[in-house]
Amino acid sequence: MSRGFNRLLDAVVRIDVREIEFTDGAKRITGGVGSGVIISSDGLVLTNAHVVSPQAVEVSITLASLERVNAKLVGWDHWTDLALLRIDLDAVKRRNLSFTAAEFGDSDDLFVGQTVYAVGTPHGLTRTVTRGIISNNDRYFEDSRGVNGYETGAFNTWLQTDAAINPGNSGGPLVTEDGKVIGINSRGYIGADNLGFAIPARVARSVAATLVKSGAVTRSYAGIGFRELQDLERFYSLSANTGVLVANVDVGSPAAKAGLRAGDVVLTLNGQKVDGRFPEQLPPIQQSIASLPVGATVKLGVKRGDRLVELGAVTEKLESRVGEEWAFEKWGLTVRKVSRAYARENQLTDETGVVVLGVQPGYPAAEAGLARGDIITKVGSKTIAELAQLKALYAAYEAKPEPQLVEAQRSRRISLYVIKP
Amino acid sequence: MRLLRCCLPVLALLPLGALATPVAELFNARLKSVVAVEFFIQAETERQPVMVLGSVIDDNGTVILPGAAILPGVAPSQLKDFKVYRPGSTESAPAVYLGQDAFTGWHFVRIDEKARAGLVPVTRWTVAQAEPAMGEELWGIGLRNKDEDFQPYFLSSRVAVTMKLPQKTVILGSDVASPGLPVFNAAGELAGLAQTSFGQNFLLFSRNQRGNPVVLVNVEESSVVLLAAEVLPYLGRIPQSVSGRPIAWFGAYGLQPMDPEVAKLLKLENQSGVVVSDIMKSSPADQAGLQERDIILAIDGQPLPRLKPDRVVVSYFGQEILRRLPGDVVTLAVLRGTTRVEVKLKLGDEPKLVREADRHYFERLGFTAREFLYNDGILHRANPGTTEGVMVHFVKPGTAVATAGLRPDDWVREIDGTPVKTYASALEKLAAIEADKARAEFVLLVSRGGETQVLRVKLN
Repeated sequence: MSRGFNRLLDAVVRIDVREIEFTDGAKRITGGVGSGVIISSDGLVLTNAHVVSPQAVEVSITLASLERVNAKLVGWDHWTDLALLRIDLDAVKRRNLSFTAAEFGDSDDLFVGQTVYAVGTPHGLTRTVTRGIISNNDRYFEDSRGVNGYETGAFNTWLQTDAAINPGNSGGPLVTEDGKVIGINSRGYIGADNLGFAIPARVARSVAATLVKSGAVTRSYAGIGFRELQDLERFYSLSANTGVLVANVDVGSPAAKAGLRAGDVVLTLNGQKVDGRFPEQLPPIQQSIASLPVGATVKLGVKRGDRLVELGAVTEKLESRVGEEWAFEKWGLTVRKVSRAYARENQLTDETGVVVLGVQPGYPAAEAGLARGDIITKVGSKTIAELAQLKALYAAYEAKPEPQLVEAQRSRRISLYVIKP
Repeated sequence: MRLLRCCLPVLALLPLGALATPVAELFNARLKSVVAVEFFIQAETERQPVMVLGSVIDDNGTVILPGAAILPGVAPSQLKDFKVYRPGSTESAPAVYLGQDAFTGWHFVRIDEKARAGLVPVTRWTVAQAEPAMGEELWGIGLRNKDEDFQPYFLSSRVAVTMKLPQKTVILGSDVASPGLPVFNAAGELAGLAQTSFGQNFLLFSRNQRGNPVVLVNVEESSVVLLAAEVLPYLGRIPQSVSGRPIAWFGAYGLQPMDPEVAKLLKLENQSGVVVSDIMKSSPADQAGLQERDIILAIDGQPLPRLKPDRVVVSYFGQEILRRLPGDVVTLAVLRGTTRVEVKLKLGDEPKLVREADRHYFERLGFTAREFLYNDGILHRANPGTTEGVMVHFVKPGTAVATAGLRPDDWVREIDGTPVKTYASALEKLAAIEADKARAEFVLLVSRGGETQVLRVKLN
C-alpha cells in the first residue's frame, strides 16, 4: 500500500463507549464499540453521532499503537450523524504516546466505480480494512429516527459503497488508495449485502469545524416538507428543471404562518432557482434553508395553480423530535420532554408534558398504571411544562414521600393515576 | 368430536329424576325460540358471508342478534340476502334487516311472514323470578355450523359469579350456550341471554415458543349470560328505521375511568367518576359548558357507582346517555379542579355515522370516496365544522391509486390541485376523471396523521 495509506492506518482508532440509557424505567449504563479517525495533531477525533452521544459517560480510545486513552465529546450533530471528540492530551503527553492525523481528500472529486477502503472495528475486530468501490456518490437517505431515535440525513446526500460496512465500522473513515479520508462510514442497509453509506468528507469537514467552534450546529427551520417533482412538471405546467413540490407544511410552522400550502410548487428560494425533480436534489434545497441564520427571512417564489405568489417565512431554530431524558429512579420511571417536533408529529396541542420512555415493573409508576408512551401533563395541581418542574416535584417527593396525583394522556385520552410511596 | 367431549360429562352430571320435566323435552320445546341467521356483507369487490345465531323475541318473527355480528362501519345497504334457518334444518326462509339499537347494541331482523309458523318467542317462557344463585346449574342451546345443518346440542354449567358490567351478568364455570341464544334454569325458566364470550388467558407452548401468553375467545359458545331482567325490558327497542335513530349525543371524547386510589385521593369514597378528555366543539357537552379534565361524578342525582373492573363505569355512563333521547336534559355533578359544579345538558342528535354516510365506489379508479363526517373532523383534529374534502373508504389492492400510495382513511383535500369543497363536487370531479379514458394521470392531495402528501396517480 501507499505511504499515505499507512499513515491513515495510524490515524484510525477504536472507540469504546459507556453511555446512559433511559429506556426501561431506570437509568442504565450500556456499552458500545465504534471507530473513529484522528483529524488533527491536537487530538480531534471524528466519529458518528450514533457512536458517541451527549449521554456518553466514558469514552475510551485505542490508538494504532495499541495504547488506550480517554476522550471527551466536543460536539455532536445527529443530522449528519457526526460527533467530534478530543483525546486527553495531558495523558498523551504524560505517557509519551504518539498518534498521526489523517488527511482529507475531496469527496466532490469521487467518481462512481472508484476504489475505496473502509477502515474500522466491525463487530469489535480492531483495524479491519475492507475494499470496494463508490457505488453512488449522491445518495438521498433521510431517516426521521436514524440516529438512536434522532433525525438524520435531511441536509446532505451520502456516499454509497460496496466496501463491507458492519456494525462497529461506524465512525471509521472511507478512504482512497492514497489514504485520503473522503467519507465517514456510518450506516448500512440491514439485511442487504454491500450497501454501505458514508458522510462525504466535504460535509464532515465543515461540520467538524463548526463543532470545534461552538459544540453544535445551529440550523434554521421553516417547516416545509419538500418532495421531488419527478414527472409532475407537466401537471404543474412547469418548464424543465424548475421547482420543487411542497408535500407538507408543518402546522404552526414559519412556512404555515407565511401562507405556504401543501401542493404549492416552490420555484425560487431567496431569488435562487430551485430544481427538485429527483430525491437526491432535496438535501441541498433543505440545506439552503437550514444554513440561514435563525430568524432570517426565506423568500419563496411559489407557483399555486396558475398564479405566482411571493411569500416570506421567518425561520426558527431547528429542533429535534427527541427532548431531554431523565430517570426518576424511586418511581421506576424514565421520561423524555415533549419537544415541539414531537408535539407536531403526534398532533398534540402544545409542548406541555413529558413522554414516558419506560416504567420498571413493581415500582410506583408501574403500579399506578403508567405505561410507555403516556404523556404526563400534570402532577398534583402543577402543569408540567418543563422537565425541571417534574424534577423539582420529585425532589420534594424524595424529601417527603406522599401520594401524587398524576394526569397523563394516551392518544388524547386523559387519565388520572396515583404514584404512592 | 368436540360435541361429544362437551356433552358427555355434562349429561352425566345431571341429577336423575330431579327435574319435573325431562330436560330433553324442555330443550326441544325451547329450540323453537332460536334460529341461525345467514347474510352477506357486500363490499366493493367481495362478498363476505356472515353466520350468527339469534333469539326470537315476538310473534312478528323479530329476532335479535348480538351487536358484534356486524362491524360499526358497515352500511345497512351493504347487508344482503338475510336468510333464517331452524335448528337441524337445511331449509331457509327470507328475512329483512331492521337496524341496530344504540342502547343494547342488538341487531334486529324480521323473518318472512310465511316462515313464522312454529316459532315461539323467548318471552313465552316463564321468567326465573330470582337471580340464579351461586352454584346453580343453568343450561342452554348450542347450534353447530351450516355444514352440520345447525344441529342443536345441549350445554350446561354452574353459576360462578354475578357481576355488574354494568348490567347484571352471570359468569358460569364453563360454556352454557352459543352467543345470542337464551339460557334457562333447571325448571326451564328463562334465566338470560348468552353474550359474546370473554377472552381467556392461556399460555401457548409450541416447538419454537415456550409459554407465550395468548388470549383466546370462543366464538361458538359462551359462559357469559346477561340476566333476563336486563334483557326483557329492552326487547321493545326495535329500530324505527335501519339507521337505528334517534340516538342521543353527549359530545365528549375519551371518557376515562378512575381507579380506587385516585378516587380516594380525590376524597370520593365508595363512588367513581369519569374523566372527560376532550370536548367536541359545538356539541351538547360544549354548549353546556363542560370542560376538558372535568370529572363527572353523577348523572341526574345518581352517583356513578364503583364497578369492577374500573373501565365498566365508562360503559355505565355511556348507557345512561344512550337510554335517553335527543332533547332530554341531564344534570351532571362535576368535579372541576377542586370545586363541584352542576352542569345541565340537553342531549343532541348523534352526528351522522360512518354507516349512514354517502359513499361511491369508482370502479376504474379502484377506490371508494365517502363523505366527510363530523367524527372524521374529530379524528383528524380539523377545525370544528369542517366539511371540506372526502374520506377514502376503500382502496382496491393493485390499482393505480394503491400504487400511488392512497390508503383507506386518507382525507382527500384536493383533486387535481382544486380544493374539494363538497362531497358532491368531489364525486363530480372523480366521475369525470373516471370517464375520461384518454387521461394519463391525476393528482390528489391527501392528509394523513396531520401531514399531507401529494399523490400522483398514473392511469392506464
